Formats: sequence, C-alpha cells, structure tokens
Amino acid sequence: MSDTALLIKNVDKFYGPIDHGVHAVRNISMDIRKGEIIALLGSSGCGKTSTLRMVAGFEAVSRGTISLKGREVHTLPPVRRNVAMAFEGYSLYPPLTVKENIAFALKSSRLSQSVVEEKVAYIARLLEIEDILHRYPSSISGGQQQRASLGRALIRDADLHLLDEPMGQLEPQLRAVLRGRIKHYIKERGLTAILVTHDQTEANALADRIAVMEGGELQQYDTPQKIKERPANLFTGTFVGEPPMNVFEAEISGDDDRMVFALNGDVRLEYRTADFQPDVRKALLQRRRVVVGIRPYSVRRVANGVPARVAVNQWLGDQTHIAADFAGGTMVLVEHDRADLALGETIGIRLDPDSLHVFDAASGAAVSHGRELA
Amino acid sequence: METTSPLERIFRFVALSLVVLFFMFPIVWIFLMSFQTNETILTIPPTIVFSPTLSNYAALITGKLTTSAGTLDIAFMRNLMNSVFLSVTSVALSLVLGVPAAYAFARHKFRGSEDIAFTLLSFRFAPPLLVLLPLTQYFQWLGLSDTYVGLIWVYQLICLPLILWIVRGYFEDISADVEYAYRIAGHSWFATFRKIALPLAGPGIAAAGLLAFIFAWNNFVFALVLASADKQPVTVGALAFVTSSGIQYGQIAAAIVLSVTPTLALALYAQRYLVEGLSLGAVKG
Amino acid sequence: MTTLQLQNIVKRYKTNTVLDNLSLDVADGETLVLFGPSGAGKTVLLRLVAGVIDPDEGRVLIGGEDMTDVEAEHRGIGMAFQNFALFPHMSAEDNIASPLTATRSSADAIKASVGKVAKLLKIDHVLSHHPKALSNGQKQRTALARALVGSPPLLLLDDPLRNVDAKLRFEMRLELPRLLAAQGATVVYVTQDYKEAMALGDRIAVMANGSIRQIGTPEEIYNAPADIEIARLFGDPTINLLDVTPKKGPHGIHVELSNVEVPLPGAPEEVVGRDCVIGIRPESISFTTAAGAVPVDVEAETPLNEKTVTLVLTARKREILVSRPAGTPGPAQGAAAIAIDGSTAFLFDKATGALVRKTATAHGRNGEAA
Repeated sequence: MSDTALLIKNVDKFYGPIDHGVHAVRNISMDIRKGEIIALLGSSGCGKTSTLRMVAGFEAVSRGTISLKGREVHTLPPVRRNVAMAFEGYSLYPPLTVKENIAFALKSSRLSQSVVEEKVAYIARLLEIEDILHRYPSSISGGQQQRASLGRALIRDADLHLLDEPMGQLEPQLRAVLRGRIKHYIKERGLTAILVTHDQTEANALADRIAVMEGGELQQYDTPQKIKERPANLFTGTFVGEPPMNVFEAEISGDDDRMVFALNGDVRLEYRTADFQPDVRKALLQRRRVVVGIRPYSVRRVANGVPARVAVNQWLGDQTHIAADFAGGTMVLVEHDRADLALGETIGIRLDPDSLHVFDAASGAAVSHGRELA
Repeated sequence: METTSPLERIFRFVALSLVVLFFMFPIVWIFLMSFQTNETILTIPPTIVFSPTLSNYAALITGKLTTSAGTLDIAFMRNLMNSVFLSVTSVALSLVLGVPAAYAFARHKFRGSEDIAFTLLSFRFAPPLLVLLPLTQYFQWLGLSDTYVGLIWVYQLICLPLILWIVRGYFEDISADVEYAYRIAGHSWFATFRKIALPLAGPGIAAAGLLAFIFAWNNFVFALVLASADKQPVTVGALAFVTSSGIQYGQIAAAIVLSVTPTLALALYAQRYLVEGLSLGAVKG
Repeated sequence: MTTLQLQNIVKRYKTNTVLDNLSLDVADGETLVLFGPSGAGKTVLLRLVAGVIDPDEGRVLIGGEDMTDVEAEHRGIGMAFQNFALFPHMSAEDNIASPLTATRSSADAIKASVGKVAKLLKIDHVLSHHPKALSNGQKQRTALARALVGSPPLLLLDDPLRNVDAKLRFEMRLELPRLLAAQGATVVYVTQDYKEAMALGDRIAVMANGSIRQIGTPEEIYNAPADIEIARLFGDPTINLLDVTPKKGPHGIHVELSNVEVPLPGAPEEVVGRDCVIGIRPESISFTTAAGAVPVDVEAETPLNEKTVTLVLTARKREILVSRPAGTPGPAQGAAAIAIDGSTAFLFDKATGALVRKTATAHGRNGEAA
C-alpha cells in the first residue's frame, strides 16, 4: 500500500542467542498508515517497549524486517531512520535549558533562528511550558520534564514519532486538555505516531488503532471501538475496559425455544432462541463450557431481573460504581447518575443478549459478541 | 549495534590478557620463588625450570633459618599467630563499636553528626607516620607500647572508619518505612535494630568486616614501631629475613605465600560481598 | 474503636513548615480520607499519628488519651505503607505475624489469627513465600494483612493502592470498604486519587501546603468546592475554568460565552459585575442543535472508556472540555454548538479563588449508601 508509513513484518526479538534466549517479541506483524496514531498497549514485560526500541533502532531485530516509507530500516543506526522519540525517562540534556533542549531537535534541520524560535514558542504554549523555557531540567518537576521531552519529540518533522509512556507523569489536572491538544497537533500536521503505554485510558484517547500485546504476542490490533465491542479473546476483553469486564464461567444449553446460560451453576440466564442468529446458536451450543463477559456499563438494573445483593455503592461525582453479589461472584455496574441504593439491598439485574461476550473456556478465543459471531 | 566484529574480539582478548598478565605476574613469580633456593633465585638470567624444594617452608615452620653465616632463630609462626590474633580482635572490636555507631549516624541526624562522621573518616587521610611519633610517646607514658591492647587500640584507626562508613551506607539503604513498620507493630527500637536493621545490613557488615580485616592484616608501620619481636605480625616479621649475610629471597617468598593465603582465601570466598560493599560505600559515603 | 484528635500540630524541617497549625477530629469508626497533591504534608501527618515522627508543637490524642510523647510501639496502631515496607528477610507469614509477636500471644493463637486474616485477603496460599517471591498485588495484600491482624482500633493507610496496577486498584477499591467495615476500626486513609477518596471516605480532608483547605463529605466537596484549586482536584476530566464577568439582563443573571448568554439560575446579586471564574464540569455540557447554544469549534475527540471527551474552542479560542457517555452520538469535526447547564456551574472570585456561589441543585439524587 502506498500510504503505509511503517511496516513491521514477522519480527522476533530474543535476548540472548536466537531461538534459545528470552523470546521477548514473538512474530509480530503490523502496518501503520501515514497520519495514523497507534498505541502499543500492554502491561510491563509484554514486549511493547522492545518493539518500540527495535523500531527506533536501539535494539537489534532478531528476525523479520521493519520498513519505513518503503525502505528497510532495521539494519540502519537510529540516526539514519528519521524517527523522533520521547523517552519514558525524559532524557533531557541536563546542561541545556528547556528551550535549548526543544530547539536541539531542530539543529540538523538548518532552519533559520526566527523559525526555530517561532516553533518552540508554539509548542511551549501547547504544552504549557512557556514559564519554564529558561529553566534547567534539574530544577523542574517530573511532569514538566515530561512535557519538555514531549515537546522535543513533537517539534521535529520526522517520518515517525515514537512516544514511550508520554503522559505517565503528567499532572492529572492537565491530562485531559493536553491529550486533546496533542491529538489535534498530530492530526493537523499529518504526523505518524506510535505510542507505548500501559494506560488504556491514554491509548483509547489518542490512538486510531490499538495493538494489545501480552507475552510478546500481538493479541489484537484494531480501533479502540472494535477492541471494546469485539475483543478477540478473553485477555483483550478483560484487559481493556475500565472498570474491567465482568466474567463468569457458564454452561450453555438450549432448544428451539430457549437458550440458557447457567452462570457458575448458580444463576440461569434465559433468552429466546430467536435472540441469536442460527450460526451463533450453533457455535454456542457446540461448546458447552464457556466464559461469559459483560461490560459494567452494559449491565441493566430492572425490577424483574435476576436478584443480586448490593455490596458496594461508590459515587465518584460523575459516575457510580456498584458491586453486587451475583452468581457466586461479583457483578460490577457503572451508572452515570447517582444510585440511591443501600448496602445489602437487593436489585434486579438484566444482561441483554446484545451485550454478552462469549469466550471459549479452554482457548479463551471469542465465540460471539452480542448477536454476531466473533 | 550489538554485534562485534572478529577483529574487535581479538583486540579485546589481547588487551585483557595483557592486563591479567601485568597484575598476576608478581603473584605467580613469588609463588614460584617460594619453591626455590636462594641460589636458583639469584641465577642470571632467571629461569622457570628448576627442581622445587620445600626447604623454605620447612625453615619457616621449624623456625630455624640456615644461612651461609650459620643458623638463625626466626619467629615466623608466632608472627603469623600474632597477625591472626591482632586482626581478628581489632575487627571484632571495630564491629562492636562501629556498627551501632553507623546505625546512629544513618538514622539520627543530630547537630554535628556529619562533622563527627567526617572527623572519624579523616583519620584515614593522615599518613600513619604523622601520628606515629606522638603516639609512641603517649603509649610509653601509658605503658601501652608493646602490648596487644595498645596495638588493637591503634588498629581501630584503620578499621573503625572503614566499617563505620561502609555500614552506614548500608543502613541508609534500608527504607526507614520498614523499620517504622516494625516499631508500629509494637516492637522497641532495640528489637527493631536487632531483628530488622542488622539482618538487612548483614552483607554490608560482612563486607566491611572483611575489608577491615585485610587492611589490618596488611598493616606494617604501626606494628613496626609500637611492638617488639614477640608481638609483631607477619608483615614486620618478614624483616627478619634480611640478614647480615644477605636477603633470604626464598624464605621471604614462602612467608609471603603463607601470610597471603588466609586473606586470599577469605577474599575469594566473599568476593561478591566485597565488591558490593566497596562500591556501595563509595557511592553512599 | 476509638477517636483521633490532632490539636494545633506544627512540624518544621529546618526552615520549611510542613504542617502549619493543623487540627483535625476523626470520629469513632469513621473513615477519613486525607487527600491532596504530593508535598501537601499527608504522609508526615500520618507518621506523626503513628508516632515515628514527633511534632514540634501540638498534641495527638488517640481515644481521648494524650499520646504525643508515647513511643510508636505503645500506641496500638495498625499501618500500611505506600511502598508496602515488608520485611524482606521474613516470610509473608512472619511479616503478618509481627504485630502479634510483640504481644506474647501463644504461637498457636498467632498462627490462627494470621491464617484468618490471610484467608480474608486471599493470600493464604503464599504465606510461606518471602516478599521477593510475591507479586505486587500479593505484597500489597500482605502489607494490609499485617496492618489488620492485631485488630487495631486505629488504622492508618498511607496510599496503599498507589503501587499496584489499575485493575488491582479497582478491585481493592471495591473490597476495602467491606474489609474496613468488618474491622470496625477508625481509619485515616491517605490518597492522591480523588476517585479513591470519594469511594472510601465518610469524610474527605483536602490538604495543601501543610494545612486542611476543606473538610466534608464527598458530596459536599464535589458539589461545593471551597476554591478553584479544590475544584480542579476533583473530577476527570478536569473542571472547565473560564474568566467571566456575570451580567444582569432581562432574563436574570448570566455570563456570555461566544456572545451567547448562558443563564445562571439562582446566582446571587453580588456576583454581577465582579471578575469571576466560572467552573463548569465537563459532564454539565452537552452538544446540541437547539437555538441559543454556544457555537464552538471541535478540536479533538478523545474517547475514554465509559465516556467520550471532546476538546472544543469558543469564538475567543478558549478551551472547553465536554464529556458525554460513550456510545452517544457526538459532533463531526469542525463547527458545533454546546449547551451549558448553568444551574450546576460554580462561580469563584477571580482574585481570591474562593467559591462565591455553589450549585443550585446537587448532582443526581441524594442518599448516601449506608
């Protein structure tokens, strides 16, 4: 494809001898289109940082190829890849001021002094570091250092921008607005960016597509919405989503009339067979043991639902988290308004067939999402 | 990138070999000398082909040194025992005094604590000869010269600062919260010191003790001036081999091998702690 | 159960005053959350109560008894630390048992108590492990178990969920209230996470620069923050703050945004003509096509999990964050219009930052969970 910016093809990373060392990245392939923001999302040790470092050139590729704008770059030293990077540890040059640090990224671009000044001023305003431009890295807070480091990476006109945990240390009050501004900045200039993060909120907010990684493998690579609505497996389903998806082991039985999900052998959820397409029905009935998942904000509270006992009712200002004892486990509900529920009170719970995610109990692979096959 | 060219590897090998050779040569040479007679040693050009003899070791152990001018009595084995006794006792005393002091310096910042700690360290700055003259006088007045007590006391100048500074670094490395947690759980500060701080600083204390032992063992000048023959350690005792009829290179070499063996064995055994202790002390101190 | 009273506490480090004449009462069985940015003095305050730091002035009363000069080991407190502070050379079991070994209980009784609390916290299968071999979540639970095992009447929890991942933090946030309720202890809980503060606290004390700025129930603080700084600390995304000068017109008191009047029903006369900062929570703003809405430019849309946040610019290039439940339709890129619910907006005095007018109606319905 002509609009592919970065192509990662069958890349492996071993620490130590190939095939015998630690297998940190396992046969990863992905493409990133020009102007796209993608996020590598996973917990520590999932291989996301190794992948980013291979793209940047700080780490040798054990197997496979990486090409940027059509040229293979995985054997080139970092400086010749035309990639800009914001480091997790900031890596600001201590003897330079914040302003000099940011302008340093433009050193090789041969821009005139006034253009550099203008660009630095613009990015400083964007990241709210105008007041500290003349300070040295050692005299500013972690959050400010992180913003300076971001500025140094974003000011460059590179083929690819790599951002390693770019917002982890930002002041919480600034996060929401900076996310919006940075996304606007990247989109406006048509920059291509890879963001490495363990924070799914950040990945959701910024990325066009998210690559979920675990155990060195790419679990799913899709838009945030697809990942949320159609998780490929139980891992992605429970990893992405805050609060996490409610999951219950279930046994499925059914006839022409009814489909029955017995959760933990305790609660029976009955649906009309017509609620499920024939192929979904077939796939479900083929596997008797499954794991049923439902997102906390898809759980409905109704008068005639399955009874559950309220154990926790926490109002967080703009939303309410309710935990109820249900089917031998806990069902978490999220509501946008305040819930007038006392502890110990019984509520009725309804799980719409549309919002059920069903996973194979053995492999964890998704079987169906709502009425559709996975 | 990470891969290295063959040329680079060869170069690295040669460079490392040179360094190893440079540092190992004296030790290997001394070891070889200890199995040779004085005549073979003084042959020119030197040779590494010789018939080994144990006569040097025999002379040391029996205490009879046979030279061309006759037989001399030497007290090498006694010197060795002195070394062991002086070093072990000095280090033990230093640990008893130094470890609690180090804990106090690490945990309680009182007015002047830094100054006191620094003053203790500064004992190590002065050349020993500087303090030696007045010390000799004091010791004669106090009746401490030529006593074990006096020597052990002076050895504290060597051991105490070392232990204090290294162990202090280790104590500072223990999170104060861990100790707070034990206090809050209902234990006294002394129980906290014994059950939490001491075990956690254990490796550091061992390393510091070992280093202090080596320094004490290798001390020469204090013992030379402040002790007479029957209280001298091996470092001074080796002087006996410089006799009127020549220098007994063979016996000196054997004496060195014997005197180095205990510290070497100890150091090899605790190598890991030692390096850790040294670098930590250096960074934290 | 017991009460905790702090009276005029002052703590200085060299010339720096960390706690400035601070007084606080915690009722019997209450969970009080100390909330504030780092450097506010929360941890120092907690350590003062624990007795491992001494105040320069003031008194600490536990259960009505003056404990200011009593050593930490005699105060009968349970405490969990942010960095867990487990004893690395002891097994999880010995770690948890440490508050009991000081009491000369019999070995069997200790084992039984440890087993019980470990089961409650679901770590009974790792009791023989040393901290090194425990996962982060298990370490955190071990630290909690150690604080709980002696059933201390006063529990101090110093940001215990700080160093665990988001999922575990969420799980514990649901689990902790049940655990604490079962203990019946008086709890002082330190956190920097406003959601944790709102979820766990019977009352929240907002700290900044060594003093308490506001103290009240989660509802009081969310719906009537005493000043701009506190308003900024609660809520995600952060509250929108815009400089305004309220005017009085034929339709009552209002402010102007992009030359459109936004009415402020119930605003007092005193705000008219005064330089103010208006605080509008992102969830009080919605996209609309109705007439009389404020025209804006959509800058970027950043979807979060259960809601979508949009950054928009007013005609004067002022930034506003709008939040809506995920899955509901939003605006296209470019021009849009927003409706602002003026009845839930706050007005702060621009010079002092203090709240001049609180919301006319509280968010949602009242009714605290018992």
